[in-house]
Amino acid sequence: MADEERKQGADAWDATQWHVVEKGETLSKISKKYYGDPSLYMKIFEANRDVLKNPDLIKIGQKLRIP
Amino acid sequence: MKSKKYWVPVLLVVFGLFVAACGSANKDAATAAIKAAEDSWNAVKAEVAKYIPDQAKGVDDAIKAAKENFDKGNFDAALETAKDIPTRVKALVSAAAAKKAELAKAWDEMSGGLPGMLEAIKSRLDILSQSRKLPAGLDKAKLEDAKGGYEAAAKMWEDAKAAFAGGNAADALAKGKTVKDKAVEVMTALGMQIPAAAAPAAAPAPAPAPAPAPAPAPKG
Repeated sequence: MADEERKQGADAWDATQWHVVEKGETLSKISKKYYGDPSLYMKIFEANRDVLKNPDLIKIGQKLRIP
Repeated sequence: MKSKKYWVPVLLVVFGLFVAACGSANKDAATAAIKAAEDSWNAVKAEVAKYIPDQAKGVDDAIKAAKENFDKGNFDAALETAKDIPTRVKALVSAAAAKKAELAKAWDEMSGGLPGMLEAIKSRLDILSQSRKLPAGLDKAKLEDAKGGYEAAAKMWEDAKAAFAGGNAADALAKGKTVKDKAVEVMTALGMQIPAAAAPAAAPAPAPAPAPAPAPAPKG
């Protein structure tokens, strides 16, 4: 019970920034949206190495961390 | 008749001694009660005052009042005030322990969450500093403000941790709250998502309209 409460508390403090991929988006477009500069797309790719194998291959609905 | 005359001064002396003895007994009892009150209070005062300062002041005031009554020769009043203080002190020790636990829990939550917020801000600021063009809604001046805000928040967080390590949980939490508010301000300026636990409290929702009374069930 206490562990569950602690976990919920930790979740509420989670500051991870997320982006859910929409139709027509690329990492460059997402980079432009958050950083103003499409050339910084590799920052997003590096932060999502666990779910992305190729920066050119992202899927609609995929949840990406935005560092 | 003559013998009665001799008895009057004797009775007066006896009465005087009786009154003096009673006064002395009250004085002794008041002295002991004040000493017991002070001893019980001095043993815990620092800890109680740290967590519930207002209530601690109440005990200081009560001891002072008992002493003032004692000095004026109002031993009954002094005794009356002083005799309940040890019980009151016991209750305050429990209240202070509860407050300490409450503050420690709040600190645990805060210290588990705020560093993550500061880290997220720093990461975003580092990347934005490398950006050739800033995203919509952000210009150079706002970015510089955000950097200054982050630096201030990070420094205050170090102060908050030092305050907690030094045993000043209330001060640590107050500083932590300032850090949280600053972090929220910076994240908002940078267009970042605010963690639910740090989001400013929403205005209370209006009370729902009363549900209509159910229609009576058809008979038959």
